[in-house]
Amino acid sequence: MPKKDLAADKSNHLKPSGVLLLLSVFVVATCGLIYELIAGTLASYLLGDSILQFSTIIGTYLFFMGVGSWLSKYVDGNLIKWFVSVEILVGLVGGCSAPLLFAIFEQVASFRIVLYAIVGITGVLVGLEIPLLMRVLKNNYVFKDLVSGIFTFDYVGGLLASFLFPLLLVPYLGLIRTSLLFGFLNLAVAWVVLYRFHEVRTYRRAYNTIIGGALLVFAALFVYAEKIMTFSETATYQDKVIYSKSTPYQRIVLTKNSREVRLYLNGNLQFSSNDEYRYHEALIHPAMQNMPNADRVLVLGGGDGLAVREILKYPGVGAVTLVDLDPGMTKMFQEDPMLVKLNNRSLLSTKVKVVNDDAYAFVRRDSGKYRVIIVDFPDPSNYSVGKLYTTAFYNEIYRILSDSGVVVVQSTSPYIGRRSFWCIDHTMANVGFHTIPYHAYVPSFGEWGFVLATKNYCWKNEGSFPAGLRFLNTDNLREMMFFPPDMAEVPTDVNKLNNQVLVRYFESDWGPYTH
Amino acid sequence: MSRRNFLLQLAAGGVVLLTGAGCGVRRGAGNIPGTIVGANSKTGHLLRNGGPYPEPHHTVEVNVLIVGGGISGLSAKRWLQQEGVKDVLLLEMDDHFGGNATYGQNPVSKYPWGAHYIPVPDLRNREILDFLHQIGTITGFDTAGLPIYNEYHLCHDPEERLFIDGIWQDGIVPENGVPAADKEQFRRFSAEVAAFKAAVGSDGRDAFAIPVDTSSADAVYRDLDRISFRQYLTQKGYTSRYLLWYLEYGCKDDFGTNLDGTSAWAGIHYFACRKGRGVNANSSSVLTWPEGNGFLMEHLKSQCVANEIKLRQLVYRIEPVDGGGMNAYVADMVTGKGFIVHAQKLLLATPQMVNKHLLKGYGERTAACAAFAYAPWLIANITVNGFEKQHGMPLCWDNVFYGKPSVGYVNANHQDLGRVSKNVLTFYKSYTDHDPATERNRLYAKTRSELLDEILDELDFVHPGITAQIEHADLWLWGHGMVAPKVGFMWGADRTAAAQPIDNRVFFGHSDLSGISIFEEAFYRGIHAAQQIVTAS
Ligand SMILES: Cc1cc2nc3c(=O)[nH]c(=O)nc-3n(C[C@H](O)[C@H](O)[C@H](O)COP(=O)(O)OP(=O)(O)OC[C@H]3O[C@@H](n4cnc5c(N)ncnc54)[C@H](O)[C@@H]3O)c2cc1C
Repeated sequence: MPKKDLAADKSNHLKPSGVLLLLSVFVVATCGLIYELIAGTLASYLLGDSILQFSTIIGTYLFFMGVGSWLSKYVDGNLIKWFVSVEILVGLVGGCSAPLLFAIFEQVASFRIVLYAIVGITGVLVGLEIPLLMRVLKNNYVFKDLVSGIFTFDYVGGLLASFLFPLLLVPYLGLIRTSLLFGFLNLAVAWVVLYRFHEVRTYRRAYNTIIGGALLVFAALFVYAEKIMTFSETATYQDKVIYSKSTPYQRIVLTKNSREVRLYLNGNLQFSSNDEYRYHEALIHPAMQNMPNADRVLVLGGGDGLAVREILKYPGVGAVTLVDLDPGMTKMFQEDPMLVKLNNRSLLSTKVKVVNDDAYAFVRRDSGKYRVIIVDFPDPSNYSVGKLYTTAFYNEIYRILSDSGVVVVQSTSPYIGRRSFWCIDHTMANVGFHTIPYHAYVPSFGEWGFVLATKNYCWKNEGSFPAGLRFLNTDNLREMMFFPPDMAEVPTDVNKLNNQVLVRYFESDWGPYTH
Repeated sequence: MSRRNFLLQLAAGGVVLLTGAGCGVRRGAGNIPGTIVGANSKTGHLLRNGGPYPEPHHTVEVNVLIVGGGISGLSAKRWLQQEGVKDVLLLEMDDHFGGNATYGQNPVSKYPWGAHYIPVPDLRNREILDFLHQIGTITGFDTAGLPIYNEYHLCHDPEERLFIDGIWQDGIVPENGVPAADKEQFRRFSAEVAAFKAAVGSDGRDAFAIPVDTSSADAVYRDLDRISFRQYLTQKGYTSRYLLWYLEYGCKDDFGTNLDGTSAWAGIHYFACRKGRGVNANSSSVLTWPEGNGFLMEHLKSQCVANEIKLRQLVYRIEPVDGGGMNAYVADMVTGKGFIVHAQKLLLATPQMVNKHLLKGYGERTAACAAFAYAPWLIANITVNGFEKQHGMPLCWDNVFYGKPSVGYVNANHQDLGRVSKNVLTFYKSYTDHDPATERNRLYAKTRSELLDEILDELDFVHPGITAQIEHADLWLWGHGMVAPKVGFMWGADRTAAAQPIDNRVFFGHSDLSGISIFEEAFYRGIHAAQQIVTAS
């Protein structure tokens, strides 16, 4: 309850202003907790181990709130002015925290520093707020009412924040917009206080400029939230990111959990160390068992060296040329100890030559004659990759394949991308290849398809597989060539440079799974 | 409009709004590196001002002199060579061949400075098909004689998109948000055009053919030349603003004129003349290269004996010689010296606005030349380092903006097979609001940064924020870009008069004599003039 002995000239303001300040406690408390939740969530996205991240962040935050409260005793003079300043600062630091953290996601080392700096600064500022408010209001309220009022609002705000955050804010607004929205609320509180209190009358102009500027920045960030987000794509990964790098060609991300390492290129899963052997055995051995002594082998794509690892299991193999656009990728798989272990040092073998070039340019220049060609490109999800699945491209492959040679093309999922798969098969057949489609089950991808092709029906399922394969043998290879009705052949157009039907098929096949 | 489109547009609108507010902070156009290139104004001015020219020092004797090293001149040279005609010299005033089919190159790509594609030719255009076969654009013929086109030269998919209502849609014919009644008018127009395409006159010739002069002489068709394209469309009850926009865009793109400034015959010809076919191509397929028709030009050039075609040689006067043949006065821009070429036959593969000066001694002919009008063009080749997120259809070969003054841009890298991180965009704009002379003077009066601002106003509208991504921008002004097929010009007296040989000594081969500027006309005009020379000898 308000005290009775209020100064007469302030009696018009004080009561509503008191309520106003209490309401601002509520907003301030909500905002503070939200910033903390944002920091925790982001840290566990990026650094993994959410228990560790959340506890260290909450701990740090509480500690710095303590620092703030302690510092409050050195604050004197126009308390309302202090309050407005602190409010604007919290708004700015907290509001920009998520966009900033997303933006520097690249640099894992400095990320931690900035993260804890932000948590620390918001802690200090929020810690200052409550004592400040108590001092402002102490003349208007009986002490026990004051304490009860302030802390009630504080804790109710906290409750609200902790429910809103996971249920409404993250799903509908996303982290960046949430952080901006609460920064905006802080600024709004500052603005309202600015106009309701005489004490800060003379500062209105200056503060308004600052608030206006901050609002503009917020608005811009709000609109570009999507972009900032895709810039780092942190939220895509469930596991701990152990490596991330943007090369001029793509974004490489490695994640790890207790069971597996996963490689993502531009957010698309390339392999999981758990079951990649299934994919790579299926890609390589059907062709290689027929050509164990192939003198020249060409691998297009597959800079991870896993396909080459399988090829090198045939001691009779001659020279292997691997063409991958991205030196960042091949270098990583030649140098990183964990990855080198995964591909069994394949890219360091003296038999292997790594060429960093565009596959199309390489193939057009090259004069062949390869015994085995492995084509392991990303799925034809856009027009520039689509060109690598056209008659024009397969004509070049036909030219550089020796007459008794075998080519294999990774051909997306015949289950989900049924028309896409058969379109690839038909396109290869169109340039004169005899095609043998097959498929394999890879748990992290699902049912996956390949097209093996020859010029002269020279392929047989009769060779012997190298020892130690975990997935493939002659019997199940025979089964893999059988397509059950839900993946059976469908009529399609042939994919050409000037129609690019495959990209359109792919979009409609996969559309329901990606949107 | 579907709900998804609507939402996409809202989102796009938001971005446009925001960057609209950011227009003020757009990097000053003047800060983008680059220059105004080409348009050899020094030699051009010399011709227009009538000198001063160097004194001729000596005389060179030749059998045939070809003036002009554009497509038509090179085509004539090649043809005469193939026919075994000896002693043919070709002089070009510029420091490069190709004229309107010239091109440039930077580390990112080659790019056109003018002509950039040809449609797949009509099977009856045998000479073009043969040429395309020689240069590998046609790889062979099937048993029925249908050409098989080189897939690398056919324009790759996706070909065209239109920015309309804040979104890129597939294809240039407006679809997005177009009401059913308007679509009906599009259907009606295409049916009408299809009929014209199939129409054959009482003389057994196609109503609309390439070369233009092989079209039917029937009055039903030729009378269309007496009204403007707009009058024709009004008479036929076409009112859809989308259709009218589309057709005017077509006129601007192909002729550099607007609906009022285009003969209805020419307007229809554009749609009704394309009849090409191939095993792997149809009448709407086009052939294109990063350097545009510069590709075709280089091949024409490489088929000409190298030391018989010369650069930087300006022919500024011609006169008959009593004993026979013609004297051509040449200013050698390399040495600054003058000389005379005495040629038995002279082939002018130069536009009539140049011939007007050369033919000073031939009174009534200069009057015919004066009837030729040319649309001014601005071309920009802009190197961009990636695009912001785009809404709708991804980057295509031809990218057009609905309701904007320019005719959009072509992605010069489109035929690249590898991954590209940067692009060269070739931006095209013709000036059609006033008569060509007024527009030309205005265009020449503008500074580079004013011109760039005009371009960026449009580019930034369709790609908000792209200005920051621009690494380089070169501009080229074509004062006399394309001949304008004005009302009455296609089948009027002047065009025929200007093409008549003089005294069996001077022959005319420039594409403007056809009334429309396209590669095929230039190619055939050159051959036609060469044939006249062979017959006359
Ligand atoms: C912007 C633009 C875009 C175009 N796009 C296309 C297209 O996509 N497809 C298409 O088919 N067509 C296009 N065209 C039309 C193009 O003009 C023709 O295809 C063709 O290139 C014309 O060739 P030409 O030889 O008849 O004329 P020009 O190219 O005009 O050649 C004449 C030559 O004569 C030289 N010359 C002039 N005077 C003299 C002199 N006194 N002495 C010596 N030399 C002289 C000139 O320098 C020039 O090289 C375009 C034109 C322009 C302007």
